[in-house]
Amino acid sequence: MKLVNNRNIITTFTKGDIFSKLSYLIMGLSNIRNGQVIKGFIFAAIEALYIAFMAMMGNHNLHMMRTLGESTQGMVYNESLGIYEVTKGDNSMLILLEGVMTLVLTGAFLATWLFSIYSGEKARSARALGKRASSFLEDIKSLANENVHFLLLSVPVLGLSIFTVMPLIYMILMAFTNYDQDHQPPGNLFTWVGIKNFFTLLSTGDRLSNTFWPVLGWTLIWGFAATFSCYFGGMILAMIINSKGIKYKKFWRTVFVITMAIPGFISLRVVSTMLGERGIINVLLQQWGFTEAALPFLTSVTWARVSVIVVNFWIGVPVTMLMVSGILMNIPGELYESAKIDGAGPVTMFRKITFPYMWFVTTPYIIANLISNFNNFNPIYFLTGGEPLTLDYFKGAGKTDLLVTWLYKLTKDSNDYNLAATIGIIIFVISAVFTLISFSRSGAMKNEEGFQ
Amino acid sequence: MNRQNKIVIGLNLDKHLYGVIAAILSAISLFMPYISIEEEKKSLVAACMELAGQDTFSRSYLFVYLTMFFASVSAVLAVVSFFKTTVALVKIWQSLQAISTVFWGLLMFSTRTICKAAGLSGNFLNRNLGYGYWLGFVFSFVALLLVMKVTRTNRGYIALTVLGAIWLFPILWIVLTAFRAEQGYYVGYFIPHGFTFDNFINLFTNNSVLPFGRWWLNTLIVATCSCVINTLIVLGTSYVLSRTRFAGRKAFMNILMIIGMFPGFMSLIAVYNILKGLGLNQSLMALIVVSAAGAAMGYHVSKGFFDTIPKAIDEAAIIDGASRLQIFLHVTLPLSKSIIVYTVLGGFLGAWSDYIFPSMLFGDKQSSYTVAVGLFWLTDFKRIDTYYTQFAAGAVVVALPIVILFIWLQRFYVEGLSGSVKG
Repeated sequence: MKLVNNRNIITTFTKGDIFSKLSYLIMGLSNIRNGQVIKGFIFAAIEALYIAFMAMMGNHNLHMMRTLGESTQGMVYNESLGIYEVTKGDNSMLILLEGVMTLVLTGAFLATWLFSIYSGEKARSARALGKRASSFLEDIKSLANENVHFLLLSVPVLGLSIFTVMPLIYMILMAFTNYDQDHQPPGNLFTWVGIKNFFTLLSTGDRLSNTFWPVLGWTLIWGFAATFSCYFGGMILAMIINSKGIKYKKFWRTVFVITMAIPGFISLRVVSTMLGERGIINVLLQQWGFTEAALPFLTSVTWARVSVIVVNFWIGVPVTMLMVSGILMNIPGELYESAKIDGAGPVTMFRKITFPYMWFVTTPYIIANLISNFNNFNPIYFLTGGEPLTLDYFKGAGKTDLLVTWLYKLTKDSNDYNLAATIGIIIFVISAVFTLISFSRSGAMKNEEGFQ
Repeated sequence: MNRQNKIVIGLNLDKHLYGVIAAILSAISLFMPYISIEEEKKSLVAACMELAGQDTFSRSYLFVYLTMFFASVSAVLAVVSFFKTTVALVKIWQSLQAISTVFWGLLMFSTRTICKAAGLSGNFLNRNLGYGYWLGFVFSFVALLLVMKVTRTNRGYIALTVLGAIWLFPILWIVLTAFRAEQGYYVGYFIPHGFTFDNFINLFTNNSVLPFGRWWLNTLIVATCSCVINTLIVLGTSYVLSRTRFAGRKAFMNILMIIGMFPGFMSLIAVYNILKGLGLNQSLMALIVVSAAGAAMGYHVSKGFFDTIPKAIDEAAIIDGASRLQIFLHVTLPLSKSIIVYTVLGGFLGAWSDYIFPSMLFGDKQSSYTVAVGLFWLTDFKRIDTYYTQFAAGAVVVALPIVILFIWLQRFYVEGLSGSVKG
């Protein structure tokens, strides 16, 4: 009896009857044979639709993807009319997009195929046990119960496939083409170039790699500086507000939370205008007698780099403060009391109790924060826009540009999509490495039975 | 007199003596060089005499007078409190010492103005402040710290006040600018010379150049729709991932994690082309659809929350014959008020501050702009001089409702945030 229930994708075929075997070719046959007529016909219809699609368009799409188009748009002399006519060439971008779409559809079809076999087998085994296979109506009803995940995940999965997965595959493939400024469809074709883009970006001695490595370096410095400054700043602020003897805690918290509630682009644009050469901060500093000439907050390299970190501190500290407040209250009060009896001062208590506890609880948060800071678009783009620019860098990139803002500029301003995609993949690799570190750390923690 | 034996309830007299000494030293530094201009050194007292002797009067002189006044009065009170130690007296000394320290600090910001007004020196810089000033300031501060120790007041107040002032400074500036009557980006002063509501009125009436009302409405529509849709999607996804077990669940979560590691806007150009194919480009619908499509990525926080709801509740409901969907709608959701508010708030705020995608989507089609794109466009270097005050007014109009909403619902936000750490 058990054998009947435990067939997998291979044994369903080898041990199945002729209907089971045939349903690998004609989807839904097994369902029809075992009493699930409507379901079986739906499977068959899906297969028919897919085959029709492949025959009419899909096949062609995949075929075109091999070269990404051959005929360039051009002018051809039309002898009968005696004029030059524009001939419509291939559009590499659309070819790639259609190809990716076909691939995603094929993936979806394969998933349906697997599901149909699983479903057919389930119907068969139900019949073999002498039960009746569930009717179509019952299947629909099961969506609200044991199959609720199909109901609730269908919309997210559909949305993610169309607007996230498909574009992502498209962009990943783009990293292996030469879709740059000089190869813009529809006027020009672009084509596959293998890993050439990675090679130019990472290793050759030209402008591009001379831009990439310093930008990567600054991205890492920025990520660590931004994460840890906000982390410690927020922690200290939370400790001050939560300490005994501070009244109106809610008021103080609100004072700092206001910066967090204002949409980022507004507060950053405001601060950016304040830090300009004729901005209010420079005006006031001169009026108050702190400096004779305007300070180059956003125009000199070092100043600008410090400025973005400080402004990010201004925005980021309240977030950490709120988050840490909750955790601080969870630290057992007895720890502090016994420490006090042993004569520990506030600094010792912080070093020996508060900090180890916080560090233990928040390590995954810190790493997640680090990753999001590597990709922190807003502070850089709205404050400096990546400036100050430099002649040492590839066009458009500036000294405060992170990899993401550079990526954005490459997409939006200079249309070097292949480079943008390559950088995107490199960012992915960096994030993946840090996530793996985080995983191994939190795995170790789970075995530790909490803070000791 | 033997101080060790003196005990006053409510006070900690260990450091009282040092506090008194610091206050006295601070007062003594009034006679030490305050400024040194062209080799000539002047004490604060001398400067005070000189200013008083002048015919002209400037409001900035008050800083000098008041610093002197409060420094001496707090020193006197310190001495008095030393001989007649009562709680009330020490508390009065404490507040006077605080005011005195504030004035010492303000002097740093106003000396240049004072010198100018008095015709002492045109280009005074703070590095010309004499050591008397710095000693006075530091001693005053030390005295404040010590007296707070005496009264057992938390010294955190000092840090909070200073930090709070710094934190609110840019916000104060933008609010003042929004009400400023004088147009233009560059003004040489902090507090406007004239106040007006015109900036706000222009924002909503001057539609041909600056359709801010339209932008605001666009954003409100997008924010409302997408916060409703996104919340449904996020809650549905996280409920399924938290409460049900099905084949491919782990794989689904891993795929979401991997997708999340790519920078989000890397694929915007492809999304743009897909939207074009669907005929949705340059419409608000596109914003709603795209944000809903990616909403499931943010399931972590609410999944972490659902994980904490005891499974026994579900099991009891199943025994009573409830379906999974009924459990979700009638049992789990009513228990999850804080996480619902958190998700709604997040979706709503996200729509207001999203810049990258709308800016790429709408290009120069101004009538479809959201406030983020529109306000950024106003601060372009070509327009900033003309529109700076309107930009400020727009920023206030956008930020105010959100700040109120945020402060009102802060509790839920905190719960959500600490939930994200657990998971």
